[in-house]
Amino acid sequence: MLKVTNLHVSVFGTSILKGVDLEVNAGEVHAIMGPNGSGKSTLSNVIAGRDGYEITEGSIEYMGKDLSELEAEERACEGIFLAFQYPVEIPGVSNMAMLKAAINSMRKHRGEKEMTAGDFLKLIRERADLVEMKHEFLKRSVNEGFSGGEKKRNEILQMAMLEPKLALLDETDSGLDIDALKIVSQGVNALRSPDRAMVLVTHYQRLLDYIIPDHVHVLAGGRIVKSGDKSLALELEEKGYSWLEGGTNAAASLEQVAN
Amino acid sequence: MSAKAMTIVADEADSWVDNYQSISPAGNHLPWLQAQRENALKRFAQLGLPGIRDEQWRYTNLRALKSNAYSVSAPSSLIPSQLEETDQPRLVFVNGHFRSDLSELKELGPKVSLLNLATALTDESSDLADNIANYFGKSLPQETHGFSVLNTAYARDGYVLVLEPGAVCEQVIEICYFNHGESQEANTVSHIRNLIIAKANSQCTIVERHMGDDGSVYLSNAITEIHAHENAHVDHYKLLRESDNAFHIGGVYINQDSSSHVKNHNIALGGLVSRNDIYCNLNGQGAHIEMNGLVLGKNRQHVDNHTEVHHVVPNCTSDEYYKTILDDHSRSVFRGRIIVAEDAQLTNADQQNNNLILSPHAEADSKPQLEIYADDVKCSHGATVGQLDAKSMFYLRSRGIDAESARALLTFAFANEVIDRIKVDAVRTELTQTIAGQLLAGLEDLV
Repeated sequence: MLKVTNLHVSVFGTSILKGVDLEVNAGEVHAIMGPNGSGKSTLSNVIAGRDGYEITEGSIEYMGKDLSELEAEERACEGIFLAFQYPVEIPGVSNMAMLKAAINSMRKHRGEKEMTAGDFLKLIRERADLVEMKHEFLKRSVNEGFSGGEKKRNEILQMAMLEPKLALLDETDSGLDIDALKIVSQGVNALRSPDRAMVLVTHYQRLLDYIIPDHVHVLAGGRIVKSGDKSLALELEEKGYSWLEGGTNAAASLEQVAN
Repeated sequence: MSAKAMTIVADEADSWVDNYQSISPAGNHLPWLQAQRENALKRFAQLGLPGIRDEQWRYTNLRALKSNAYSVSAPSSLIPSQLEETDQPRLVFVNGHFRSDLSELKELGPKVSLLNLATALTDESSDLADNIANYFGKSLPQETHGFSVLNTAYARDGYVLVLEPGAVCEQVIEICYFNHGESQEANTVSHIRNLIIAKANSQCTIVERHMGDDGSVYLSNAITEIHAHENAHVDHYKLLRESDNAFHIGGVYINQDSSSHVKNHNIALGGLVSRNDIYCNLNGQGAHIEMNGLVLGKNRQHVDNHTEVHHVVPNCTSDEYYKTILDDHSRSVFRGRIIVAEDAQLTNADQQNNNLILSPHAEADSKPQLEIYADDVKCSHGATVGQLDAKSMFYLRSRGIDAESARALLTFAFANEVIDRIKVDAVRTELTQTIAGQLLAGLEDLV
């Protein structure tokens, strides 16, 4: 489904990813771990099509297509979803309005008719229950005044609504207390399916107690330095990132600028 | 007296003064009014129309307005196409003249009077004339400008709303002003004067709509005075949808007594050049003013809003929230002056002016002016000028929403924050639809 080959990415002129290779197939859950500044968020952002991330070498192929040709919204319509590390607050646009616009835009892209108001309402209520989100939140402005946990739940709700083929979850566990982490993980697990792939970007092993990955990769210094199964995450937890070489903090500071 | 009004050359003060002889404003039999008018006319002869040399008008380009000739129009029988059926109380004015045939004068209760100024001034059977004499012109600032004195001199009609103590008018009162160009030689000018007198514990909601025929050139010079007594609640809306070639110079002058609540909503969608001066005096403790403004500028529109809040006594609050969206070559000016007098301790004043620029050719000028002479007060203000937030754009696009729709949604959301402050459902819904129609082409069903 996703094939990243020798990917080099610069952000504001600074090289962050320095030759990443990654292959993700339908039905698989991959975890990408790594120290701060290793380029984890850069990888998910560049796949989602964020402006300012320049591919200087290598390629990203998704469902056999070169992604660099597609705008962010086209990638979304083709089934790529990014759950943001820092979900954006959009005062004045309700959750419902955004999701209705998103779903109808995707349907249009696929040459389908718009969803009826009734079907939409039924679907969003059902999916809100999945992440234990109160229905009154649906009418509220996107993420405005939401707590950290509510924002992350809202990301998973959006994922549940948009039913992507490839979901990138960027530090979805950060800022969550244990209860919120459980709810978010339940939501994610419910969305696991044989034709959907997921890439979890995380700093901590904790999330992987709840969402069991098929593959774990360690990103450091802009490269994947180690890959393995879920036991790799535990090993990392025990030994820390310091036993891996090549970490740099440049990407961390740049990602903060970008955010 | 000639039946046909003379043509007025806008930029020549004498031309206005000379023309004054040819009109006969209502109520000239009333000595107090006649005296005010004559004084105003004399003052105008000194002042003339303001220009860029006047500090308060230096950003307001009146060249196009002044290059025109105007005439005070005769009553017309035209039926404006924009007028929709209503079951609400409504007064209609066409080119500055009251049209009883188009108005709906409903029974608003024993303690509420609503009628047009010209009629009110000639009604000798009631206390109305006394009421008007006691309030007319009392909320206008001493330091004024040519347009407002011209209005005092020339105004022959408008609405008068008097709420006696305790009167609660549940119905939303609607006032419609239509203007249309009359002849090739001269464009219509109308001077409208409105007066709201809300006595103690009274309540009302009033919506002024200023409209014009597509493309027609005219000058609308409209003043509304609001006098809110103790614990009165006045919710006042001014919706500007003038023709794309029209000029609108407006003033809303508010005097508030203790514990009164006034909300002024100023929504500017039309007109080639429009300007509103909104002044409020908080004269009694516990008074609260809310000023909400929304400007949608396009093409070569120029929209000015000048607000002044005078905190005269302690314990008053003011909350000002102005937003501007500019496209094409449009320009806007916001000046927000807050004066906290030495005695006005425990004042709480907030002012926000946010400008969204959608085109590289648009320009917004924002000028907050805080003058604080008391030491125990809370005053905050913020002014921003910028473009749509890149993070929000990416967020929406990453959900599959195309760039154009994402821009439209965010622009609408920006505007909607002002609309959300409107508490009258019917007005809010109408404006939401209007703004959605203008900004959300094709996505209206999202809201």
